[in-house]
Amino acid sequence: MATSKLQALWNHPAGPKTIHFWAPTFKWGISIANIADFAKPPEKLSYPQQFAVTATGIIWSRYSMVITPKNWNLFSVNLAMAGTGLYQLSRKIRHDYFNEEETAALKE
Amino acid sequence: MALFKAFINSPVGPKTTHFWGPVSNLGFFIAGVADMKKPPEMLSGNMTGVLCVYSALFMRFAWMVRPRNHMLLASHALNESVQLYQLSRWAKGKG
Repeated sequence: MATSKLQALWNHPAGPKTIHFWAPTFKWGISIANIADFAKPPEKLSYPQQFAVTATGIIWSRYSMVITPKNWNLFSVNLAMAGTGLYQLSRKIRHDYFNEEETAALKE
Repeated sequence: MALFKAFINSPVGPKTTHFWGPVSNLGFFIAGVADMKKPPEMLSGNMTGVLCVYSALFMRFAWMVRPRNHMLLASHALNESVQLYQLSRWAKGKG
């Protein structure tokens, strides 16, 4: 019983023998790379890149819900991208714009 | 005029999600170009490497998906080139 279900999944038109499976699955790599970069100092983060990660994450999250059928895998991977992107942006903005008082005080 | 109307009303045109998703993916390409002037120490090897594999996979996806999505293919082809270039800069910077 279990093996036939597994076989069905294995042979699915959007299953692991196809690009329809691996491309969205690999997209998780973007969020994982971003989480690895949480440890990077904010000066090394890129505004353009993090903005691109956040914006594509938000836009594709919405679109994965309006296509037929709804694609929850695509939705969740893009939601994660938007989340990690927003966090990185907040780290960099906080560093660039809200640490000025501290560094100014240190200079004095 | 007729061509323009055909584009606007196309099943993969600007009234559909098949259009704006790929447009948003151009953001990665634009960010890559903007970051070309950054010194290699500022580049993220993690993110650049992942984006190289990601765009390669999605070029194939764009070709195989129905309807075939040429805009998605183009946006990922552009991103692939800039990310590979950035990856080479990052790698050279590592010495």
